[in-house]
Amino acid sequence: MPGRSALTDYLASNNISAQQIRDDWDRRQAEAQRQPDQAEQESSNAAEESRSPSVLESPEDPVKKRKRQQAIARIKNSKEFAKRKARFNGDYDDEDDDDLALQIHEEKNRPQPGQLANCEICDKRFTVTPYSKAGPNGGLLCIDCSKKQKADEKKPPAKKRAPGIGRRQNQANLLDGLTPHGTQSLLETCIKKVADYIHDIEDFGDLPPSLLLRLGQILSRRRAVTSRTLDLFLRPQYTSIDLFDCAKLGTDDYHKILASMPRLTRVNLRFTTPLKDQILHYMMERDMEIKDLHLDGPNLVTDACWRQLFMKLGHRFLSLKLWNLDSAFDNETARVMCLHCPNLQRLKLKFLHKLDNDMLEGISTLKSLQHLSLRFLDETETQTEPLLKIISSIGPQLETLSLEEFYLADDRLLQHIHEHCRHLTKLRLTLNSTFTDKGLAAFFTDWSNPALTYVDLNSLRDVDMTNPAGPEEPIGLASDGFVALMEHSGSKIQHLNIASCRHISYKAFEQVFAEGKMYPNLKYLDISFSTVMDDYLARCIFRCCPALQRLVVFACFKIRDVHIPRGLALVGTVGATIKIDGITQTETI
Amino acid sequence: MAPSTDSEFVTIVSNDGFEFIIPRSAACVSETFRLMLSSTNFPEGRTGRCVLEDYSGIVVEKICEYFCYNEKHKDQVNVADMDIPPELCLELLMAADFLNT
Repeated sequence: MPGRSALTDYLASNNISAQQIRDDWDRRQAEAQRQPDQAEQESSNAAEESRSPSVLESPEDPVKKRKRQQAIARIKNSKEFAKRKARFNGDYDDEDDDDLALQIHEEKNRPQPGQLANCEICDKRFTVTPYSKAGPNGGLLCIDCSKKQKADEKKPPAKKRAPGIGRRQNQANLLDGLTPHGTQSLLETCIKKVADYIHDIEDFGDLPPSLLLRLGQILSRRRAVTSRTLDLFLRPQYTSIDLFDCAKLGTDDYHKILASMPRLTRVNLRFTTPLKDQILHYMMERDMEIKDLHLDGPNLVTDACWRQLFMKLGHRFLSLKLWNLDSAFDNETARVMCLHCPNLQRLKLKFLHKLDNDMLEGISTLKSLQHLSLRFLDETETQTEPLLKIISSIGPQLETLSLEEFYLADDRLLQHIHEHCRHLTKLRLTLNSTFTDKGLAAFFTDWSNPALTYVDLNSLRDVDMTNPAGPEEPIGLASDGFVALMEHSGSKIQHLNIASCRHISYKAFEQVFAEGKMYPNLKYLDISFSTVMDDYLARCIFRCCPALQRLVVFACFKIRDVHIPRGLALVGTVGATIKIDGITQTETI
Repeated sequence: MAPSTDSEFVTIVSNDGFEFIIPRSAACVSETFRLMLSSTNFPEGRTGRCVLEDYSGIVVEKICEYFCYNEKHKDQVNVADMDIPPELCLELLMAADFLNT
């Protein structure tokens, strides 16, 4: 056909007729014109007829009518119909049935957003939007009428929040170290904001290392350290890198770290699953000046590679911390380590599956060691004798001693520490059910070591399900041991964890936190699962520990109603009423 | 001129010349300002006027806003963080580090 436009051609090829579109448009226009007139007629007509305007719309052809009746019959069988019907009660007959079905049918046939419709109230023509309101008879309303309608409707009363604070959010904040008082520091707020927008940041500029460390911590916690964000942390001039979640980095990224920071002396990487032999080989090839190597979970590194590393670079190592190795690092590797790293000052080995008592001997040859942390797997049968040897040979120089989960170590270990250690500041002996209260009391009494600053003795208790009160002669840290500990270290102690030491009596707590006693430096105290703890004892603790910042009281159910000082975070209460400077907060559960 | 240490307000000036006059107590939330303002050995202490040479008016305005926000909410519990526009956060971070806030 000559004179046909390109668009018409295209439409025709897709089986659309431009002519038909035009005809439809004309018809709709004409209908719309007619509608208002009909409405006027209707109002003069009988009332019942006006109820169903669609019937009067036009003399319907029989096909349409039949279709509509079918649709109505379908609706009558539908769930929605049954639901609506159920809302009516009392006088209800078949005629209402028909009306309801018709109403639903009309609602379903409402114009779609973007189409035009006539307002149900004022008959004005308007464009339907998803926000168009339904009128009283099921039709749609124009903007003006829906505004009027809305004003008529009473606003439902605002949902009231229960008074008090949500336990979950509150505890989450407390565990993050936020005291509920006042605003956060600008620094912390900004760091959080930077972490929120980390993907839009191209360069940190001149951020000092301390801020990089804090940002690294927050990003790691959000699991946002990826190859891309890693680039922001790589600074050739810096000598240390700390990333606490490397799980999303690939092998190449580790190469990148080492290659772009050639002056590294401190490498602290956690969750380092993809770290392989070649990375450590690269370290050796470049003869990097690594002094501190802290790696968590580098499970793909083989024993041969570890040994080579210690032989090549071991003499420089000042601190070595390894966690969670299950497929490599056996006793022989540990022996090589002790042989070739004579300058080690800090050694921490935790959850290294292949290590056991045999490797302990080597540790006593590390003559520079000052900080020692060991934790084997819980199925390892630990013995006391090798530990005694370590303490007697390197005990005098130790500043930190952390022995976790040595279940079977007995009072002889305590005696050895008492005898040999003179410079301890941090002591952690946890998860043991062999030490006696007597032994612990004797250990802290007349100990020539100065007062400790960090003490963690959690879970020193007897475990016997059939005898929850424990034996006559208390096992683990009980009353006498606790009193002796506080006598010895009370003046300097900053951090104390005695969670699960459940044989400490009410009297012992009363004695330790009696009026006149003062622990001026104590900032952290964990007394979880000490079931005797109550409101009175909590008040005594607040009185005796003016510097206290955090008190952990999981499972201390007798703490119900306390007034806590400013700046203190009370962690682990359940449903307690907490007063802070006259502001009462009741925890909702 | 009399030492300004008794004046209740101090003036913070940005590198492009904007001046912000805020209560002394609010400014002293910053350890850096507190030290500057508390001693008459420093010109800041004598005049009560601190010039932040490294920061523009926009950043200094936000800093002063934080000071007042902090002052206003210091006795309340569970305070929401102040809103910071993302484009300013890195610069503010550096400033916060400098001001020890």
